[in-house]
Order: sequence, then C-alpha cells, then structure tokens
Amino acid sequence: MKILLVEDNERVTQFVVKGLQEAGHTTDHAGNGRDGMFLAASEPYDVIIMDRMLPGGIDGLAIIEVLRKAGKRTPILILSALSEVDDRIRGLRSGGDDYLTKPFAFGELLARIDALHRRAQAINTEIPLTVGDLHMDPLTRKVTRGDRAITLQPREFKLLEYLMRHAGQVVTRTMLLENVWDYHFDPQTNVVDVHISKLRQKIDAEFERPLLRTVRNAGYTVTADD
Amino acid sequence: MLRSSALSLALSYVALGIVALVLFAAPLWYAWQVTIQDSRTEILQVDAQRLAEVFRRDGAQGVRSFIDARVRMQIAGERILLLTDASMRPLSGNLPAWPSNVPTLPGNYKVKIELGDHGIQTALVHVATLGSYNLLVGRDNALFAPLQTRFWYGLAAAIAILSIAGLMIGLITRRALLTRIDSIRQTVSAIIHGDLKHRLATHLNDDELNTLSRTINGMLEQIELLVHGVRNVSNSIAHDLRTPLAELRSRLEELALIRPPPEQTFAEIDGAVADVDRVIRIFDALLRLAEIDAGLRRSGFVALDVADLAANAVEFYAPAAELKNIDLAFRSDGSVSVSGDPVLLAQALSNLIDNALKYAPVNGSIEVAVVRRSDGTAQVSVSDDGPGIADSEKCKVVERFYRGDASRGTPGVGLGLSLAQAVAKLHGSALELSDRNPGLRVAITLPFDAASLVALAAPQQETATGEVIASPTLASS
Repeated sequence: MKILLVEDNERVTQFVVKGLQEAGHTTDHAGNGRDGMFLAASEPYDVIIMDRMLPGGIDGLAIIEVLRKAGKRTPILILSALSEVDDRIRGLRSGGDDYLTKPFAFGELLARIDALHRRAQAINTEIPLTVGDLHMDPLTRKVTRGDRAITLQPREFKLLEYLMRHAGQVVTRTMLLENVWDYHFDPQTNVVDVHISKLRQKIDAEFERPLLRTVRNAGYTVTADD
Repeated sequence: MLRSSALSLALSYVALGIVALVLFAAPLWYAWQVTIQDSRTEILQVDAQRLAEVFRRDGAQGVRSFIDARVRMQIAGERILLLTDASMRPLSGNLPAWPSNVPTLPGNYKVKIELGDHGIQTALVHVATLGSYNLLVGRDNALFAPLQTRFWYGLAAAIAILSIAGLMIGLITRRALLTRIDSIRQTVSAIIHGDLKHRLATHLNDDELNTLSRTINGMLEQIELLVHGVRNVSNSIAHDLRTPLAELRSRLEELALIRPPPEQTFAEIDGAVADVDRVIRIFDALLRLAEIDAGLRRSGFVALDVADLAANAVEFYAPAAELKNIDLAFRSDGSVSVSGDPVLLAQALSNLIDNALKYAPVNGSIEVAVVRRSDGTAQVSVSDDGPGIADSEKCKVVERFYRGDASRGTPGVGLGLSLAQAVAKLHGSALELSDRNPGLRVAITLPFDAASLVALAAPQQETATGEVIASPTLASS
C-alpha cells in the first residue's frame, strides 16, 4: 500500500514510517499542514494518516474537510492526542474514517490501516463469507464449518462476521469493542478475550486446524493460511 | 456622582415628575384665565348696560351722580369708572383722565392703568358710548393676583419637594447599593486572591441583588469543589502514576546497567511496555473523568432505552461471569426511556458490572435491574453478593483512587466507581450504595426523557418500574 503520513513529531514519524516499511508499505511523509495538503491532493494514496494538530497554520481536520470537498475519497485515519468523545465525533464528522488517540500501539495502527484499506477496496463483501472450510451467510444467518452447522448467539454471529470480513487481517480488541459492541471505552478487564475463547469453542474446538488465531501484542485474526 | 446609576435614575424620575406637573398645570392655568376673563367681561357689560339705562332715564346728570355714588361706596376701589364728554374731559369717576392706551371705540380691552393708590395695574376695561359721552367701566385685576401667586407658589413648592425628595431617594439608594456592591467587591477580590472559602453575604429577602449573590455563592461552591477535586486528583495522580513510572524507570535502568542476554532483554521490554500501558490507562480514565466533571458532555444527551443499554452490558459480561460460574441475571420492565449520554452510561454500567464481577464470590450471583419508578425516573441497579462495603467506607469508595482494603492486589486503577459517580452526577443523580447482607447494591436514578412522558400518560399494562441494578462491591478497576 502507498501511505501518506502527515505528522510533525519526528519520533512518532520515525516509529511509524519504519513500522510501515517493515509491514511492506511505502510511506510518504509531510511534516506540516501545507505539504500534507499538497501531497494528499496531488498523489494517489491508499490510506492517509493525519495528525490533528499541525504546524504551518493548517489544522488536520481542515485538510480533511478540503480534501472531501474536492471529492477525494481516500480513507483517512486521524491521529490525535485529544481523546475526548466530542473530539472523536468532530474528527469523524469532518470526513475522517477512523480515529486513533496518541499514544497508540503500532499493532493497533497497522490493523486499523488494513481495515480502512480493505473497506475502501470493498474486499470481502461477497456473500457468503468464506474462510477455509468455514462459511457464513449474513442473510440467512447460517454458519457452517465443513458439513457441520454451527449455532451462534446474535452477538457471537456479529463478532465472527466482523472477523471474517477482515479475514487475513489483524483485528485489535479496541476495534472489536468499537465495531461489535459499539463501546468506545476501555472496559478494563479482558472481556473481549473471553468472548473470543467462547467463539473459538464453537468454531475451532472440534477441528484440526484452528482458524481463529491470537496475534501476540496485537489482537486476533481469522485465516485459513499457515 | 451622576455616573451612579441609582442617582441618575432618581434624577430622571424627578425630571419626568416636573414635566408631568407642568403638563398638568398648564391647561388648568389657561382654562382658569379664560373663565375669569369671560365672567368679568360679562360683569363689566352688565355695569355698562345699567349705566346706559340710567342715561336713558335721567340723562348725563343721572349717570354722573350714579357714578359718584358708586365710587364713594366702594372700599377697595376695584371698580374703575370714568365718564367724559365728547372732548374727553372727565366728568365723574375715579380716574383722573382718560387713559392714553385705551381707545374710545366701544369694546373690551385688557390694559395697564395708573390707579392712584394701587399704582399701575392690569385691568379689564369696557368702553361704551352714551350719547356724545364716553363711558369707561373696568375692574382691577389686582384682586386676583394673590390667587394667581398662590397657584405659582403651589406649583413651585411641588416641584421643589419632588426634586429634593427625588435627590434624597437617589442618594440613599446609591449609598445602600454602593455599600452592598462594595461588600460583594471585597469578597470577590478576596476570592481573586485565592481564598475560595469566602461567600457573599445574603439576606432573607429576595431582591435582585440577593438572588444574584445566592447564584454567585452557588457558583463559588462548585468552583471550590472542582478546585478541591483537582487538588485531590493531582495528589492521587502523583501517587498512582509514580508507582508504575518508578517500576518502569528501574526496569530500564537495570537493563542499561546489566545488559542481559537478548531473550531476557525482550522480556523486560515487554514488561516496560505493559508499565507504560498502565500509565496511559490511568491517564485516559482521569481525562474522561475530567471531561465528565466539567459537564461538557451534556451536549451528548439523547433519548435512549436504558433497559436496552443494560441488557447489552449484561450480555457483554455474560461470558466473563460464566467463567467464574457467577449467575449474572438481568431484569427490566420492558423498554425504559431516559434522557442521557449513551456512551457514558454504557461505560458507567460496565464499570459497575465489572466491579461486581470482581467481588462476587465464585458461584455467586449478580442482578442487573432496570426499573421505571412512579415519578417517571428510571433506576438502574447492580447488586452482588460479595463482601459488600462497610458503612464507613461507602462515601470513600466513590473518591478517586480509593481502593477498599479488600481490593488491594486486584488489578484496576481505582477509578471505576468514581467514574460511575461522575456519570451519575452529570445526569443529576448520585450513586446510591446499600447493603444486601451479604453484598452490595449500587443504583443510579436517571431523569426521564420528556418525550416518554406521553407514553407514560397512556395506561400501561406492565408495571412501570425501571431500575438498573449493578452490584460492584468495592471501588476499583
């Protein structure tokens, strides 16, 4: 993927650019609002990572608004030290697609970028969803693995559906909280892990190859690859 | 002094009063003058007619004796009489000569005449012709002068009284106002200099200044509370952040010093990241608390179904409860609509359930209930059968960072109940902690959603009770 990072903090920049490089992405970097606006408007990027508060008189949200008005549909992830609920809402309302507060774990950033990119590419919207021998039909709400039908609770279904729509990608606990439960706070205990292990009981327990895997220090992924 | 609002207000009222008085007196004065003049002219005409009759009957000689008799009879000399022949020679009467400013043409005139003892006076005169003789009858206006003077004096006195009274009231009000404003000013400047304990003096009566003072006192109360809170929090932050930061520091310092083999180094780094995460977590919780305390989130209030919210939270925690073999039950009377912030309420509920799960014993039970009460409010409660909280600790547990003795050693940053408390406060409520023997019941009462009043007015089949019960036992998480 080609990614634009608009960020003025050198250390954060170094950390993110290096991480993205290791994950196999090319990254352009702009250190202020003006350059960021110019690059974002002129170059084709898959995802833009935008810091909210930038030097150079142009604020990140203003850039996003201009880009959206100009018809640019590039997915944008807002990075910000402002963590209040209202800041988040303002960020998303200005045209951002996702919001991540600083400080963040790199795994979280990477997972979110992947999710944004996939969403833009409209990958995995085909019905039914399939990962290996696990099938899900979101319309009839039927889930089968191999030739065995699996009964899921509504929330388990939603959880699995989200994971399968992001098959092959890392999905973090925060992403699950936000998208499956619509919880925009940290519930302190590892309740998400408990839900995952319950789901694992149903789809993986009696099969040789586990599909739902834990990614250390990041989250979970559903994949049929080894 | 005119810059004083009380005084200038009083003075403008005085001016207004004077204008009103003049507006009232002027037409009165005018009407009075016209009436007097008319009636006196009439009298003069009657006099002249009588003299004309005498003339017809007895001739000029008769008129002369009539006039002489009249002049002799009168005491004050208010009547002016003069008969002259055709060559203007006075024949009889009390004027030495025909006044130069009175024409000989018949008619009524208002002139100034030299009147012997009385000096020059304004007089109303009537001139008539009797044959070849000229007759002048008139009346001295001097008789009415005292009346007129009294009128003017009266008016002047009224204006003077009005002005003096107005000025005095203005000055007194100004003084009273200045005294009170000055006391407010002194109090406020004491507060500006940092002493938040001061309050404005209030009286029993309910005038505007008093109401204002009370409002300001309420504001000061809130400010003091917030400042106090901030002070407490900064102390607690210092304490609670110092621990993980100290661990982190020693971990890193040791790494730099010992330079252990890579395997161990990586493990140490993971530990360091976990330390940092803990610091961030505390920070986030504090920021969220500050945000709620500032009351900024009230803009996020919407009508929501709190039963649905609670059901979701219960469902979210169900697997975790199962793990501990705790019976997590949910009870509600259908949908219960309230006005609130969905994000914060979900977080508060989640904290309460989280707490309950932490303290309920294995094989214990937790009940979350949403009840609509008869006054339209909804009550959300969480009850557990854990160790409960001693009465002496009940008010402490909602304080920031307070952790009951029983909670030492359990994970959490000690902000769970504080956050629930802050959320309850934002919704105009407070956490109500009660004993269940054994266990704890924590309840939040929520304001009803105005729109749901309509639904409430309609008779409902189900009993209207909405109580959400969460049962955290000790402050933590």
